[in-house]
Amino acid sequence: MLVNKKGSLIGAVLAVSIGILVINVNSVIFQGIYDAIIRDMSEYRFGDIYVYDEERSTIQKSDIVLINWFERIPNVEAATPRLEGSATAETRIAGQEHEKFNVPVLGVDPISDIRTSTIHETVGEGQYVYARNSIVVGESVASDLGGCSQSGFFMSGGTDPTVTGDRGKDECQPVRVGDSVKLIITDQWGIDQKKRFVVTGISGTAGGQGFDRSVIIHIDTLRDMLDRSGESRSIMVRLQESASPYDAKQIKNQFLQAFPNDNLKAETIEESAESTLSGFRSGIAMINLIGYFGMMSSAFAILTIQMMLVNSKTREIGIMRAIGARRKDILIIFIMQGMIIGTVGAGVGTAMGLGYTTYAKVTKMEFQGSLALEVNYNWQKIGETAFLAFILAVIASIYPSYRATKKQPVEAMRSV
Amino acid sequence: MTKIYGEAETKVTALDDVSFSVKKGEFVLIVGSSGSGKSTLLNMIGLLDRPTQGKVLVDGFDTSNLTDNEISAFRNEKLGFVFQFANLLADLTVLENVLLPSQIQLDSPTSDKAKEVLEKVGLSDQLFKRANKISGGQAQRAAIARGLVNNPTVVLADEPTGNLDSVTAKNIVELMKRMAKDLGQTFIVVTHDRTQFGDVDRIITIKDGRAFEDERPTELEVIV
Repeated sequence: MLVNKKGSLIGAVLAVSIGILVINVNSVIFQGIYDAIIRDMSEYRFGDIYVYDEERSTIQKSDIVLINWFERIPNVEAATPRLEGSATAETRIAGQEHEKFNVPVLGVDPISDIRTSTIHETVGEGQYVYARNSIVVGESVASDLGGCSQSGFFMSGGTDPTVTGDRGKDECQPVRVGDSVKLIITDQWGIDQKKRFVVTGISGTAGGQGFDRSVIIHIDTLRDMLDRSGESRSIMVRLQESASPYDAKQIKNQFLQAFPNDNLKAETIEESAESTLSGFRSGIAMINLIGYFGMMSSAFAILTIQMMLVNSKTREIGIMRAIGARRKDILIIFIMQGMIIGTVGAGVGTAMGLGYTTYAKVTKMEFQGSLALEVNYNWQKIGETAFLAFILAVIASIYPSYRATKKQPVEAMRSV
Repeated sequence: MTKIYGEAETKVTALDDVSFSVKKGEFVLIVGSSGSGKSTLLNMIGLLDRPTQGKVLVDGFDTSNLTDNEISAFRNEKLGFVFQFANLLADLTVLENVLLPSQIQLDSPTSDKAKEVLEKVGLSDQLFKRANKISGGQAQRAAIARGLVNNPTVVLADEPTGNLDSVTAKNIVELMKRMAKDLGQTFIVVTHDRTQFGDVDRIITIKDGRAFEDERPTELEVIV
């Protein structure tokens, strides 16, 4: 009866809704980026559980023993060994030495690796490592080896990029499938080991969590070149889809109890990603804070609108008081109005937020056109945001409601 | 009762030692020129304002020590109001406006009583029209119905015909008198034009804040 200013109420509801929508959009984008990075780190580098030697550069225990241990556990999908090193890479095009510079080298067991990670899916051109002399080159490395950029590990500018055949002189040409790449790796005794590889694939990922700046070869080949037979730098473990972070922790703890004397360290993906992402997390918290400040602005908008309604309904308030309404009755009317604004606003805002989240999920929204966001429905956060919006709307209505009760009936009825 | 506004140099005595009583079923006119204090007097009787000195007794009950909530409840149960501009809530229907006083009471009757009163004032066909869609005369009838719905001890009307044309005003006056007669309802009506009301039980004239019964400067001290 005192509240029928539709335009004002719609404005107040919109203020609440937009506040919630902003928070939801922030969450989808920034939490989506964060979760996408974690996803990629898990799928490419660390898996759900990452095992390595705390003190040495390689695991002394046989990787077969460790992998067999993991694969006996029901929640474990697969496990794979990995070895890392560093090499000088050279290309040779039409018999001429082309570019050379330093690259990280990753050694994988192709059979178990494709069950444990999704790096093989990042090979857009060609195919994954399969033979002892095959090499997958990261996109950045392929570009650098072709003399296309000065970025990354470019070390030697000694050799002019001389090309023959269908490539023009002084022309930038990234390494392609079928090209030859020579790696020079210094083994554990300090002796240079050289081997030539055939490029079988080019790997590229969005977000930078893949091996765009590395090369990938067969783990046994790398072991031979490093003279580290049977050794691995790490074991990457993939759990089944149905496993939860709690399961990962449980399995990790069981593993550490099973191998207490081997200097082994095991981390879940959250622990592995901690140092990389702690700064990012702070940034997300800051952006969320800005979103919540936006919601507080909505509360001020509601307060202003409610004050305007109180002022415009002063005469009616006077009439109500004259015919016997108590101050408490008037207070309740305006607080109820605030509750309605909060409820409807929270409902509309949540619906809009869910709509945006669903849109982002269905369309596989990408960040800057490359990194696919990891979009999830965080029901707890959605509920908390809606509840907070409701509470703020009610709080914003308290002062206007109090003001509404202050005028004496006679005085109020004189208002136009 | 005495009512003084302001202090020292700005002090204004709106009512000066006014005292009278009204019996049940009486139709009393309070007349006076503009600014004489008649509306102030009505506000005092209606507990919409407190006197500087004196008290109001209704059905023998002293209202001077009531709290704000008690005053509100008292107004709702014992007093009915009819204002000059009807003062209906524009966004409600006629029926909803008349129901308002009984809705404020917690143990209030249903819409039957409101419909009954609206029938008595001749608005049974306007129940569901919005208050801002009816004529001035109809609005004033609805205001009278609202004033009567809770069976108040007394109905206070402040210039109820002030905003109406002469024909409509006459109809309203007849209605109020009929209600007074049929329901035994006590009416205290403030007006600046007594000729509209014709024959009534009593006329009290307010002049410069003082009350005169039937144009004679008589002060009665019978408590309402």
